[in-house]
Amino acid sequence: MNVLESVRMSWRAITGHRLRSVLTVLGVVIGVGSVITFVTLGASLQAAIVGDVATSSPDIAATVGPAGGPEGGPGSAESIPVFTEHDIEQLQGIEGVDAVIPTGQVGIAGLEYRDDRIRWPAVTATTAASFDEDEFADGGPFTAGANETVLNPAAARMFERNVSAGDEITVEFAENDSRTLTVAGVLNESTGFAAVGGGGGTPAIYVPTDPFYTTTAESPATGERQRAYPQLTIRAASYEQVGAVEGPARDYLRNESDASQLKPASYEVSLTTNDALVEQIQGILSTFTNFITGIAVISLLVGAIGIANMMLVSVTERTREIGIMKAVGATRRDVVQLFLVESIILGVIGSVLGTVVGLAGGYAAAELIDLPVSFAPEWFAIAIAVGVGVGIVSGIYPAWDAARTDPIDALRHE
Amino acid sequence: MTDAAVELHDVRKTYRMGDQTVHALDGVSLTIGRGSYTAVMGPSGSGKSTLMNVVGCLDTPTEGVVEVDGVDVTELSDAERTGLRGDEIGFVFQTFNLMPQQTARENVELPMTFQGVGRSERRERATELLESVGLGDRMDHKPNELSGGQRQRVAIARALANDPAIVLADEPTGNLDSDTEADILALFEELNAAGNTILTVTHERLVAEHAERIVHLFDGEIEEIEEIAERRIAGEANR
Repeated sequence: MNVLESVRMSWRAITGHRLRSVLTVLGVVIGVGSVITFVTLGASLQAAIVGDVATSSPDIAATVGPAGGPEGGPGSAESIPVFTEHDIEQLQGIEGVDAVIPTGQVGIAGLEYRDDRIRWPAVTATTAASFDEDEFADGGPFTAGANETVLNPAAARMFERNVSAGDEITVEFAENDSRTLTVAGVLNESTGFAAVGGGGGTPAIYVPTDPFYTTTAESPATGERQRAYPQLTIRAASYEQVGAVEGPARDYLRNESDASQLKPASYEVSLTTNDALVEQIQGILSTFTNFITGIAVISLLVGAIGIANMMLVSVTERTREIGIMKAVGATRRDVVQLFLVESIILGVIGSVLGTVVGLAGGYAAAELIDLPVSFAPEWFAIAIAVGVGVGIVSGIYPAWDAARTDPIDALRHE
Repeated sequence: MTDAAVELHDVRKTYRMGDQTVHALDGVSLTIGRGSYTAVMGPSGSGKSTLMNVVGCLDTPTEGVVEVDGVDVTELSDAERTGLRGDEIGFVFQTFNLMPQQTARENVELPMTFQGVGRSERRERATELLESVGLGDRMDHKPNELSGGQRQRVAIARALANDPAIVLADEPTGNLDSDTEADILALFEELNAAGNTILTVTHERLVAEHAERIVHLFDGEIEEIEEIAERRIAGEANR
């Protein structure tokens, strides 16, 4: 019997035994749906807790300092501009790196806002990637190449009148070189931008590296003059990847980079991470992974038993039909094939519906307890595979058993 | 090749029930000629059903040879026997045994489906068969929408679907009232007249007398083969 024929006959059996089919599908829906709901809830809870604990991004700071000395932290006084644009490009190629953010100081003579002139030594040049959208109390990040600036709250307060987004301040880069910059945004109080030492009480004024950062060096790798920075912030895509990024980044910076050639021989490149935070977050992540796995396995088990039970009852109920089919010439293979196709159809329908129900359930539950919704797609695939798989296994075993029974006995079965 | 549809040579079938050995068939030899109409009679436990199952390739004998259409069934594998059953044997049961979810036509198509007959050919043949048993207007009805007599007609049409060597009927009128019984027996006579080989098992003498001969079974042995001199004709019984 060909497959199309069995699909047709199986579909007939499914629509014929409507209640039983609905109950079987319901079993799969509950199994798959509950896995997806609980996993989504777990993933959302994890995202919320990590979000609360992680006061900064998964960053690695790269600086140069005297070899053997204390690890040069962010903003080290020994900083010299050795990291070229070429180094930034190379680092961005490392797997797991989300962004590489350069920072450097630009010396200025003073600042002026509404006729209130302040003498001020320097502004910080960086790129827009150093700001998160949710770090802003007002406005947003600046645009590369534009005459824009971002202030921290302390900087916004240091003039006679408070500065807010959209205002214009004048920066005196050198004598007779004053430029008017639009304030694109003001950061919020809690912002801890690791690369520049946090929001804190010290006023900080950020400008885009392009066009304001002008320190250059000749890149030994390319032979061109490029912007060179004293410090880079290598941002990993996630906390789990901090470790994986750190090794290759260190290898590159110590052995092949422009920085390794530009730095004084007695200096070395050092990488620093917020170890305590990374460790704490990785601890939370692994606890949650175990928790989610536990919940998913239990849900799958419950679902699987439900599905298996339904299929067993359904096949047993139809022993007589199997007897009829065998009497009119169905081979064991035909019988098993029919039940197999039927189980697959029911399993697939149930899994698809279960996924929809699970996603809706997980979303609703996460919204209800006010969590950021976060999905764990790998578990959806597992849930669906198990849903269909259990349907097949629990359908095929009794079908195989029934197909082996003597048609005489099967026909006598009431 | 012989002109026998089915031949049994010294067939024995032994069951073990607990520590007792039961001889359901104890040396049965029988030739069922092509186009013949045979009835098997006997009290409960005489081996009627076992004989039927052995002939129908549902059961294998412990000893002896069963040939269906010249093929020794006892030598075949289970799958081969199933194939032969689908191709050469048509069953009619006392309880009809139709697939409850399928229409009359789909039920008749079923044996052809398992034999791999194409869809349009199947449909055509099923339509033809249902018309020939007088159910041309009931083809899309499900078994529970049909009367007992109509269900048995569907079952008979199904039994004929693959043009079998023999039609086996196990108490085919046991669940029917006397008028319907006469109709079904008349249908068997028609089929037999059209050249079909029929073996029916019954415990009712009145039903058995419609056949050409009656095989009397007792304790697993053939007690007597009785030729019916004056066959009962369904038309007369109906009068």
